[in-house]
Amino acid sequence: MKEISYKKILFTEEQLQNRVKELGETLAHDYEGQDLLLLGVLKGSLFFLTDLARATKMPVMVDMIGISSIPDTTRATGIVRITKDVDIDITGKHVIVVEDIIRTGLTTAYLLQTLETRKPASLEVCTLLYNPDRQLIDLPVKYYGFEVDRSWLIGYGMDNGEIGRNLPFIAEIEHH
Amino acid sequence: MPIITISRQMGSLGEEVASALSSKLGWELLTRDLLMDRFFPEISAEQRSHLAESAKFYLSEYKDGKSFKDVLSDSLLQLAEKDSAILLGFGSQILLSDNSNAIHVRIIAPDALRLNRICKQFHLAEEAARELLASRDRKHKRFVSHVFGADSSSEELYHLVLNTGLLSVDECVAAILSTVKEHSLRSRITSETKKEGSRDHQKSLPVFKNPSEAEFARILDMYQIEWRYEPKTFPVEWDSEGNVTLAFSPDFYLTRFDTYLELTTMNQKYVNKKNRKLKKVRELYPGIHIKIVYKKDFLELAERLRGSAFPADEENADK
Repeated sequence: MKEISYKKILFTEEQLQNRVKELGETLAHDYEGQDLLLLGVLKGSLFFLTDLARATKMPVMVDMIGISSIPDTTRATGIVRITKDVDIDITGKHVIVVEDIIRTGLTTAYLLQTLETRKPASLEVCTLLYNPDRQLIDLPVKYYGFEVDRSWLIGYGMDNGEIGRNLPFIAEIEHH
Repeated sequence: MPIITISRQMGSLGEEVASALSSKLGWELLTRDLLMDRFFPEISAEQRSHLAESAKFYLSEYKDGKSFKDVLSDSLLQLAEKDSAILLGFGSQILLSDNSNAIHVRIIAPDALRLNRICKQFHLAEEAARELLASRDRKHKRFVSHVFGADSSSEELYHLVLNTGLLSVDECVAAILSTVKEHSLRSRITSETKKEGSRDHQKSLPVFKNPSEAEFARILDMYQIEWRYEPKTFPVEWDSEGNVTLAFSPDFYLTRFDTYLELTTMNQKYVNKKNRKLKKVRELYPGIHIKIVYKKDFLELAERLRGSAFPADEENADK
């Protein structure tokens, strides 16, 4: 069995839950009376999405989208593709893409480009963690939980070799 | 405004291409007859027939000391300033040759095919069709050569020369549309910050300076993020004679996100000079979005994508 090791806790369970509750209240206020779809990005946003949806005290639709980069043996990098598409028709609906963390913004940019073609009423981004200095592309990040300047993290959805997602807090891990 | 001029050989299906393009784009199709009525409202029937007969008549006076050619030139230039349109013939490719928003297209077809099309279209015997074709070709050549001193068949006048012996009308339309789209993008990049002094070199051959740039380009391709390589140079310092002494040419421009990216493979301590340059660019060219991709960040991105750090964590490996 793999051991979970980390350097230090960056956000405790209590800090995360309080902030998610605040974000939920903001969303309920901003989207009152509207068709809102919270679209989580697999798998990192799983826990954030479920907590956020429950903290948003209004009817919301929930769906998930999965994308992956497929390594190409002939090149250093491969291709990005959608592995699990949105089941709900997003046309005319208010969509918030829910992310665990935005680093360079390339993944999110790809997703937004793809989703925009389906003509949602609006398309915004809500990420738990956000590093504006590292972002290469200016994205419409309307909501975020915390700013971070570290990028090797574990817990609350984020993993190290598929382990650690179910930790209730977020910690920094060693990276060599 | 974007303009498409279409010059065509008789029997080349040039009119069909122009008309299909007009309905696809929703732009007005301006033929010679329409332009005649619009540009020369006071023309007499006699003058009209003279113009149709002899190209040289375009050099004679229309009114107020201005020749037909002068009025045609002025009116076409004015039209190109304010409207998007498709112009069919009338030497528009020559009059608008310096207009950076104009795309000049020539539609051609092999002689045998043109002959065949003319026979069918006008129900003519081959010999009569051959004569008609020769006379129209001659007349057109004469008009362009006498009025503008140019050769309309010269390939150098055109962005695109399309052969309907090898392409369908739909294929021609698709080629023109995609050229217009790319060209408009290039024009936008060229014109932005032009008055502040930026220099455009989008037409030069893009050559990556190092493997990191090539890899970064592949990463952008992966995410289907459209980019241009080193499209512009931003001068930031000049000597007393106005010669540029320091300039900045960001490596990538992300067209959809209106962002320039400069990739640095230097170690952090050598990056300060670059940061100072960047600060100056931002001061001198307000409104421009430029970001530096530091070596550390680039390596991390590449590593995450290769999956070496988190082999099983594909969906998380790209952020």
